[in-house]
Amino acid sequence: MTLRINTPDLAFAVFLIALGAFSLALASPLAVGTAAAMGPGYVPRGLAILIMVYGAVLGARALFSGRAPMPAIEWRPLFLIFSAVALFAVLLPFAGLALTSFVLVICAGFAAYDVRFRENAIAAVVLAAFAVVLFVMALGLPIQVWPW
Amino acid sequence: MDLIANLFANLATGFAVALTPANLGFCFMGALIGTLVGVLPGIAPITTIAILLPFTFTLPPSSSLIMLAGIFYGAQYGGSTTAILVNVPGESSSIVTCLDGHQMAKQGRAGPALAIAAIASFVAGTIATIVIATASAPMTWLALKFNAAEYFSLMVLGLTGSVVLAHGAPEKAVAMVLVGLLLGLVGIDVNSGSPRMTMDLMDLGDGIGFVPIAIGMFGIAELAVTLGKPQDRSLLAVKLRDLWPSWAEIRQCIPAMLRGTTLGSVLGVLPGGGAALSSFAAYALEKKMSKTPEHFGRGAIEGVAAPEAANNAGAQTSFIPLLTLGIPGNAIMALMVGAMMIQGIQPGPQVMINQPDLFWGVITSMWLGNAMLVVLNLPLIGVWVALLRVPFRLLFPAIVLFCCIGTYTANNTVFDIWVMLVFSGLGVFFYKVGAEPAPFVLGFVLGPLMEENFRRAMYISRGNPMTFVERPISAFLLLLTVALFVVLVLPAIRAKREEVFKE
Repeated sequence: MTLRINTPDLAFAVFLIALGAFSLALASPLAVGTAAAMGPGYVPRGLAILIMVYGAVLGARALFSGRAPMPAIEWRPLFLIFSAVALFAVLLPFAGLALTSFVLVICAGFAAYDVRFRENAIAAVVLAAFAVVLFVMALGLPIQVWPW
Repeated sequence: MDLIANLFANLATGFAVALTPANLGFCFMGALIGTLVGVLPGIAPITTIAILLPFTFTLPPSSSLIMLAGIFYGAQYGGSTTAILVNVPGESSSIVTCLDGHQMAKQGRAGPALAIAAIASFVAGTIATIVIATASAPMTWLALKFNAAEYFSLMVLGLTGSVVLAHGAPEKAVAMVLVGLLLGLVGIDVNSGSPRMTMDLMDLGDGIGFVPIAIGMFGIAELAVTLGKPQDRSLLAVKLRDLWPSWAEIRQCIPAMLRGTTLGSVLGVLPGGGAALSSFAAYALEKKMSKTPEHFGRGAIEGVAAPEAANNAGAQTSFIPLLTLGIPGNAIMALMVGAMMIQGIQPGPQVMINQPDLFWGVITSMWLGNAMLVVLNLPLIGVWVALLRVPFRLLFPAIVLFCCIGTYTANNTVFDIWVMLVFSGLGVFFYKVGAEPAPFVLGFVLGPLMEENFRRAMYISRGNPMTFVERPISAFLLLLTVALFVVLVLPAIRAKREEVFKE
């Protein structure tokens, strides 16, 4: 017997059930109230349960709806772009906008398969300067520019 | 007569606001930057708006909305430019433009294709502006008759509409709406003051930020997915000498534009409607009406004019439910609600009554924005073509950077960047499992509004859920919702729907 699992559908269903369960746990201390005088927990709890039930139905259906593999994920762009964003969040508070932007562009640049070192470095300098000029000098946003 | 006099008085109020040098400047900037980002292949109007949204927050409310509206048209026009020149549709609304537009470009008629797209958009924009101005007053009158039960039912209808029009499997879209509604409730409950599902994070007190969600899902996630795909970006050489279509071609297109505009204006108002549906429908209609349907798909100029007119008209009239009822009909309008709320404006009938300057200023600026696009973008096509020649590997780090800075400046907190990262991850996951983010965003924005009206309606009816079907307007709206669901389930229509989305 061959498996007839639709993996993307099943993954989505598992996500729904997990999210529903997690939200239900988070909402459990909230007062539910009555239909006429709903407490803060009434609607969140209702929605969480609805999502879990719905996820269970989708999941059951995914088990028998025909084989479909999970589409491949390109890890390199995903990892590097997400890292670039994380670096921005970590660095910005103390390194300032100029250096942070430079690091972000260098990191994100390597997400492209056809990256060129020198080109990327030049782009990083230009974009960092551009960001400082546009956002801090022209638009006057309150962002620290340098670490000192 | 009174109505027309009022209309002119209102438009005059609007022009007084929109024509101030500062606002003209913001409208211009919006249209220009919107086109600039929208031209980039693979970046849909909604992504463009999400990325640029935070940069309008520092402006006063009317300027900010005027600039956003400009960004919106610019983004849409930029998307069409890319569709015609590179055959990469930014989003569904320009898929149809690709069909004949790119064929025209291949035959060396990229200039007329781009020009007719701009002219059709402008014609449609002009008519749609008048439609909005005339329809708004009666709609506002209707809106004042709405109570909690009606608002709730209307939102149910709107969300159902977004499910019907989602591209992926409708059952997944339903789930996405529910997830959006649930996440929209995170934060302090207005009625009781108790924090809900915040995981004791102070930063989540005001709820999950709208900007990080939009930028994460439509900006970063889209980029990460796009970069993973092999890119076919064969840019066609454009001869800019022969930019203008001949008079015969323009005349040939006039009926197509008018039909497209009419269809788009009607479909745009529908919940869940807007640009994408309008352009598909207009293309199909034009093909049916044409004496030479065999030309379609091989560079028929009407095949560019009709959908471009329709998507612009649809995009514009989708502002009607937002401005009058305060209910966004699609994900782009949900972004607009987010922007308005950050400016401290609660969208709805009160806006027109209490802030007529703002309301009419935005409406007239829509028309100005369209006019600017024609005047500006046709001469600037050379610039857009040059931009398309810049390799994507140099452009996308800039987009990542702007996404981060934009998210940060919305609230000046790094916390939002982490939120954005979480939603970028979710966005990629949703993409991989074939679930659309648009119904999610709509659910997220409507979540708190829906809960509030649901609770109020149930309170008034003393806990009797029959109130939703006993009140006539509410019952009618729910009946429409049921009809939509039936349409969705009927096998014949479902097959047709899949066919339409496949094209």
